[in-house]
Amino acid sequence: MAAPAQGEDSDDGMDEFMESFKTKKYKNAFNEGNWEEEFDKVPMFMKTAPEEIDPLKHPDLACIQSIIHDDDRTPEEQARNYKDEGNEYFKEKNFKKAVVSYTEGLKKNCVDLELSAILYTNRAAAHFHLGNIRSALNDATAAKKLKPDHIKAILRGAQCCIELHHYSEALQWCDEGLRLLPIDKNLQELRAKADKQKREAERDARKAKVKAKKEQNEKDALLAAIKERGIKLLKPEASQHKGSDSEDDDGDGGSSRALADLELDGISSQEATGAHVYMDEQGVLYWPVLFLYPEHEQTDFISAFCENSSFIDHLAVMFGEELPPWDTERKYRPQNLQLFFEDHEKGNLYQVDLEKPLLSVLQNQRCTVKAGTPSFIVLVSGSPFCKQFLSGKKVKRLKF
Amino acid sequence: MMLSDGEANELLSFLTLETRPDVKGHATEYIVGLTGNPDGCRYLRSKPDFLKALVTLTSDASIAIIKDCYHALINLSADETLHQPLLKETNILPTLLQNLLDPEYVLADRICTILSNLTRHERTCRDVFRVLQEQNIGLAKVVEIFCTEGFNKKASLHYLGPLLSNLAQLPEARHFILDKERCVIQRLLPYTQYEESTTRRGGVVGTLRNCCFDYAHHEWLLGDTVDILPHLLLPLAGPEELSEEENEGLPVDLQYLPEDKTREADPDIRKMLLETLMLFTATKVGRKIMKSKNVYPITREFHKWEKDPHVISACEKLVQVLIGDEPEEGMENLMEVEIPQDVEEKLKELDAKEQQQIENEAQESEEKNQNESPKGLER
Repeated sequence: MAAPAQGEDSDDGMDEFMESFKTKKYKNAFNEGNWEEEFDKVPMFMKTAPEEIDPLKHPDLACIQSIIHDDDRTPEEQARNYKDEGNEYFKEKNFKKAVVSYTEGLKKNCVDLELSAILYTNRAAAHFHLGNIRSALNDATAAKKLKPDHIKAILRGAQCCIELHHYSEALQWCDEGLRLLPIDKNLQELRAKADKQKREAERDARKAKVKAKKEQNEKDALLAAIKERGIKLLKPEASQHKGSDSEDDDGDGGSSRALADLELDGISSQEATGAHVYMDEQGVLYWPVLFLYPEHEQTDFISAFCENSSFIDHLAVMFGEELPPWDTERKYRPQNLQLFFEDHEKGNLYQVDLEKPLLSVLQNQRCTVKAGTPSFIVLVSGSPFCKQFLSGKKVKRLKF
Repeated sequence: MMLSDGEANELLSFLTLETRPDVKGHATEYIVGLTGNPDGCRYLRSKPDFLKALVTLTSDASIAIIKDCYHALINLSADETLHQPLLKETNILPTLLQNLLDPEYVLADRICTILSNLTRHERTCRDVFRVLQEQNIGLAKVVEIFCTEGFNKKASLHYLGPLLSNLAQLPEARHFILDKERCVIQRLLPYTQYEESTTRRGGVVGTLRNCCFDYAHHEWLLGDTVDILPHLLLPLAGPEELSEEENEGLPVDLQYLPEDKTREADPDIRKMLLETLMLFTATKVGRKIMKSKNVYPITREFHKWEKDPHVISACEKLVQVLIGDEPEEGMENLMEVEIPQDVEEKLKELDAKEQQQIENEAQESEEKNQNESPKGLER
């Protein structure tokens, strides 16, 4: 309101102003419909601040903001304002904005060490809640450097170390804190937590090591059993196996490579069931076995074929009561079947005596197990397909 | 061969900071020689001025002189009769303690040895504790220095272990170490497996044992806040593979121990550990907790491994309680049971006999080992 002219009775101007309300309509008034909305736009009556303060939409808010962060104020005051702003955002759980505010505060580089330590510590807390544990730890460390007796920084630092599973470091932080405040319960609790988790982690590592050793021993025994039986495993193409070219691969050299091959073989098995050969407590081997039916382009997979079982045992079950749906001619009966394995090197087919156990077939000189899974071709003896399939191939009978 | 008064006075006159180093050196050397035997010590006991001079000269400019003084003081402090004269006539304690706090002090280890000597017997031990308080150092600082790896780059400070163990004779020291509001004993526990120094390890185990005589604290010590049990058992546990079931039943720290796990090498420390464990079995609640922690596999394997008869005996006593039945009403706290005089005497007699037997067996086996080719005793 303009200052009244000297000597004039200021009340006159006021009276006139008030009078005009009776006759003139107040311009730019809130209208009844949207006055609440309008209210919210006035900074004083705002319930929450808008996310972004656009100077065009909210010129008054932008104005207030610039007053808060006015460069005319001292660095300390500005930093303090940023701290308060950050704290407000923190309370609203807007941690990202809180980080920004604290960072602005730190940029002011004020000489008040305590304030800087607080800014770092608070930013550490904000980072912690955002899951940026390493950033949080860095900030806690910075805070502690500025003010070594800042307990909140120490607590935060210890918490970060625990989250990062750096338990020994966590203990160091706690002990540092306890040196300053020996009876602080928070520090003691945190220390106990770090200690407990450290010991559990150590136990878990030991347990894993024992387990790995056990698995290694089992694998070694398995390989030894296979080797002992004289069964040959076909190694996959050399180039695919990483590091197979380098001589100084690992300590146990050959055995671990063979083991890896076995693993690779088992895993790369076409059936992708993850099944691979295993040995039971009595030292008996069980193999995953593939039966191929080229006539109908079908396969059957036996996940655990005991080495002492014979083929006829399995075939009697597989082609027993019910014949497979693809056997349209109903001719795949156990007594009609012929089994062959392929010698990959020479391309020959070897016919298998169905009465013999799997072991004796695998032990045959000409037999190599490919991809850890013995596979056998199944044909119906005398059938046109069989004749056609076998023609042109060298077929041999296994000698026992 | 003791000095005449005139000679003594002359010698004393050389023992000042201002004296020429070469002359001083001869003097201190002579004193060191005196302290090397009981007569010399007895003589110096009656000469407080010499004692004073020695302490003063620990701040001499020459490191050789300082070393001589420490050497002499170590010898003197090993003799209990010198304790009170040293404390009363010199300001040895404030001097030593202040230097101990200095992370740069090169001869800190010698200070630890002297303090360890001085605290062996209760009276002077009490004085040392009192001076720690008066100097505003407190047991807290000693524990902190002890537990800070590399506090002093030039000194290992291992002898703070025995110092703590000796101080733990005092209820006031135990009160601090066992303070539930603080975190003191927890910081000492890991040192039961400190491989680099038998002295440090032994000191800590001794401290723990002395603390465990206060059975009012047993429940707290065995509980989660402190969890003392694994730290007592780990040195006794070996690399033997236990079944998965046995492992899962053990405290976390004792599970799945690696193949290269070694047991405590020093039989005295092993015995102390077993004695400490035994202390926990004195109360009903202690026995209950010990039994529930399922540590029998550890003691079983230990018993198979141990060769020293004294330690075996301690182990067997422990095992008997762990697998035995609960005692009858009124006998629950073995430490409080009133033993009639005649029974007590009989027990002492039996104890003595057992001790003798153990010794005889040890003697026999030693002789046997000397005659035969080296071979462990079969059991």
